[in-house]
Amino acid sequence: MITRRQLLWTGAGIGLAGVLAACGSGGQTGPAAVSASGSAVEQPRTGGTLRVGALGRASAVTRDPHGTQTNESDYLIISLLYDTLTVPGETTNTAPRLAGAWKASEDLKTWRFTIADGAAFHDGTPVTAEDVVWSLKRLRATPAGASRLPGIQPSGISAEDAKTVVLVSDYPNADLPLLTRLTTFVLKKDTKDDALATAPGTGPFKLDWFRDGNARLVRNDNWYGGKVYLDAIEVRIFESPQAMANALLAGQIDVASNVGAVAARTAKSRSDIQILRRPNDMAMPIVMRTADGPFTDPKVREALRLAVDRDAMVKQVLSGYGTVANDVLGTGDPAYAKDLPQRTRDIAKAKSLLAEAGFDLSKTYDLITTEDISGLAESATLFATQVREAGVKINVVKQDSAVFWDKTWLKAPLYTTYWGTNDSVVFFASKTMLSDAGQNEAAWKEPAFDEAYREAMATADAAKRSEALRKLQQIEYEKSGYLLWGMADGIDLAGGAVRGLPKLPGYGRVQLEKTWLAR
Amino acid sequence: MEKPRFVLVAGHVAWSALRRLAVLAVLLGVVFAAVELLPGDAASSTSERGESAADLAARRTALGLDRPLAERFWDWMTALPTGDLGTSARGEPVTRLLAGPFPNTLLLGSLALAVSVAGALALGSWAALRPGGRADRVIGVVATMAFALPEFVVAIALLLVLSLWLGWLPAVTLIGADGAPASPGMLLLPLLALAIPQIGWNTRIVRAALADQAALPHVSAAILDGLPRHRILTHHLLPGALPAVAVGVATSAGMLLGGAVVVETLFNYPGVGAVLAGAIADRDTPVVAGVVAATGSAISVVLLLADLVRARSVGVRL
Repeated sequence: MITRRQLLWTGAGIGLAGVLAACGSGGQTGPAAVSASGSAVEQPRTGGTLRVGALGRASAVTRDPHGTQTNESDYLIISLLYDTLTVPGETTNTAPRLAGAWKASEDLKTWRFTIADGAAFHDGTPVTAEDVVWSLKRLRATPAGASRLPGIQPSGISAEDAKTVVLVSDYPNADLPLLTRLTTFVLKKDTKDDALATAPGTGPFKLDWFRDGNARLVRNDNWYGGKVYLDAIEVRIFESPQAMANALLAGQIDVASNVGAVAARTAKSRSDIQILRRPNDMAMPIVMRTADGPFTDPKVREALRLAVDRDAMVKQVLSGYGTVANDVLGTGDPAYAKDLPQRTRDIAKAKSLLAEAGFDLSKTYDLITTEDISGLAESATLFATQVREAGVKINVVKQDSAVFWDKTWLKAPLYTTYWGTNDSVVFFASKTMLSDAGQNEAAWKEPAFDEAYREAMATADAAKRSEALRKLQQIEYEKSGYLLWGMADGIDLAGGAVRGLPKLPGYGRVQLEKTWLAR
Repeated sequence: MEKPRFVLVAGHVAWSALRRLAVLAVLLGVVFAAVELLPGDAASSTSERGESAADLAARRTALGLDRPLAERFWDWMTALPTGDLGTSARGEPVTRLLAGPFPNTLLLGSLALAVSVAGALALGSWAALRPGGRADRVIGVVATMAFALPEFVVAIALLLVLSLWLGWLPAVTLIGADGAPASPGMLLLPLLALAIPQIGWNTRIVRAALADQAALPHVSAAILDGLPRHRILTHHLLPGALPAVAVGVATSAGMLLGGAVVVETLFNYPGVGAVLAGAIADRDTPVVAGVVAATGSAISVVLLLADLVRARSVGVRL
C-alpha cells in the first residue's frame, strides 16, 4: 500500500511538474507584481471568503484544542476559533493575545498574566481568569501536559482575581510567556468533552459548520484583538500536497497552506499564483548520539559537520527553498547567534579529525531515516554520499514512521529528525539538549550547557540574558549531537488577490486574522 | 413446479449469503492479525512527542492494546451486530469516522460500476455484432489498453487535460456542510478515472461471452431466420451471456474499491480510501476493520446479486 502510494506521488509529481512547466507559461496575465510587497501599499478591504487548503488525514481529525493535533487543518481551525495566551510575533518571540500583558516576580518563578481588555467568548460572556485556569489545568492533565507546560505543576496554576492568572514555575524561567504560545487554547470553564464540537471560543472567527475535517468560519465582529477583514474562511482538508496544489491551480481554493517545494516548482510558471516563502520553517537535523556508540568523540561529530556540503543539501534536498544553517537550532529566533562562524565544507580537516579520534573507517554505519516529511530521506541519502568523500561509509536505512518513533528516536547512534515548530533557541535547548530533557535526541549531557541555560533563564536583564544565550549557543555549536545543515522554507501558494498572509515560520502560518482579499 | 424452484433459489441465496458472511468474518480476523504483525502499535503511532514511556504505557492500557489479540477481536466482532464498530485510537467512534466517507465511496463506487456496466455492454455488443470488422478490432485493442492502464495514470491524464488545461472540470472534490461533494461536477473526474479501466475489462468479457453465444445453434437459426440484429442481441445473445457478464461485474466491484483508494487521494475525494490509508499508518485496528467490514459488506452484496443472476439463468445445481 505504502509503496503504491509513493509510486503514485512520484509519478504524479514528475508528470505534473513536466507538463505544467510546458503549458503554464502561456495564458493568464495576473497581478504578478503585487505579490509580496503589495500589502504594504494597498488599503486592506473588508469582505470576501477566503478558501484555505491545509494538510490533514481524515482518520486523524480531532476537535479538542488540547488534544494531539497531527493535522494542520485541525490546528488551523482551532487557532482561528480559540485564542492562546500568547502568540509568536514578527519582531519578538512572544506577542500578546488573550493575555494582554504579563509580569514576572523578582525571582522569575511567578508570572502574572492579565487577560486582554474586552476579551469575550463567541456567546458574549467575558473571559475570566477562572476560564483560563480551568483550560490550562485541562491542558496540563493531557498525556503530554508536562512537556506542554514545562516546570508548571497543576497546583501552580491559579486565579488571583477576575482578570489575573498566576503561573508558578518550579524554577526561574524568563521565557515562561513563550511556553504559553501555540498550545494554551482557552475554553469556557467546565466545557464538557462531548460539547467540544460546539464550545465557543474567543478567536477572530466563529464556527459556522464543521464536517470531516472541513469547516466554514465567519468573522467575529466583536473580537478584542483588532479589526478582522474577511467575512469568512473556509478550511478544506487535503490528504496530499499534490491534490492541494491542483486545487489551487484550478482556482478551487485561494491559499494552499504549507504545500511544499514541489508544488512551488510546479507553480513557478503561473504568473497569477503567488509563491510565499516563510524562512526558517522546518529543521531536519541529523542526530549523532553523544552518550555512547561511534559518535561519542566530539571530534568525530565535528568531522561530520565539516564533511557535509550545506549548499548542495539546500539546493538538492530543498530545491533551493531554504537556507544554510550552522548546527544551532532556533534559527528564526531574534536571539539566534548570527555571529558564530559559518561552518563550510572542509574535507581535509574532517579527515584529520577522524584520524585524530581514531574513527573506524572500515565499518559501515547506519543512518536511519523516515519518509514522514518530504525531503527527509533524500537528505540522508545525499549526506551519505557527501561524507563518503571524507572516507565515512554510511548506509541509509528507511524506516516506517511507527517503527522509527518507537525504536530509533532517542536511541539510535545516527538518525534524522525534524522539528516543524521552529521555536526559539531556548525552546530547543530546554526540550532537546538539557541533560535531563525528555526529548534529548542525542543523549547529550553537557554541564556547561545546562549551566548556561539556567543562567539565561534566571536573568531578567536583557543584555546579560542575551550574553548568556550567546554562550549557550556557542557550546551547542561546538559540542552538541546535532548536525543542522539547513532550514527549509515553509511554502504557501496563493491566488493573486490574497493579501496579508502570515510570514512567520512554523505554526505562525495559522495567523490569518489580518488576511484580506483585493477583489 | 414453480414453488420448488423458488425455494431452491431462495435456499441457494441464503446459503451463499451465509458463506459470504463467513468469508467476511475470516477476512476481519486476518485484518486484526495483519495490523498486529505490522511494526509499532496504535499507542506509539498516535502519541505526541514529549509523552514519556509511562504515558505511552498508560495509553496502551487505555486503548486495550495490552489485552490478547483474540480477546480484542472477539469483543469487536460481538459488538459488530449491534452496529458498534469500536473506537479509534484517537478516541472517535469508528461509525462517526465513516459516517461521511463511506456513503461518499459507495456513491462513487456504484456510479462507477453502473457506468462501467453500461459502457461495457454498449461497446461489447457493438463489437460483437460486427465480428472481425474494423469497429470490433479497434474496440478490442482500446479496451485492452484501457484495462492495462493503472487508475492513477488515467486519473492524472484526465486531470491534466480536462481540468488544468481546459478548465472544464474541478480538479478536486470539496465537500459542503452536509459532507457530500459540493457540486455533482466534482464527481466526474474520479468517476471517469475509476470507470475507464473497468469499461475496458468488462468490454472484453461482454465481447467474448457474446461470441460464445453467437456460436450456439439457436442463435445461428435466428440469424438464418433473418431476425433484426438488435432483436438477436436482446433476445438470443445477451440472456445467455448474462452469467459470464455478471461474474465480470462482480470482479469489477472489488477492483473499483481497490482503485478508489488511489483515485480518492489524487482527487481529494472524501471517501474511505483516505481513512483506510491513515488508519493503517496509525495501526488503528478498529478503524481498519471498520472500513473492511463496510466495504466488504458492499462488495458481498454485489457478489450475491451476481450469484443470483447466475442462479436464475443457469438453474441451481445442488
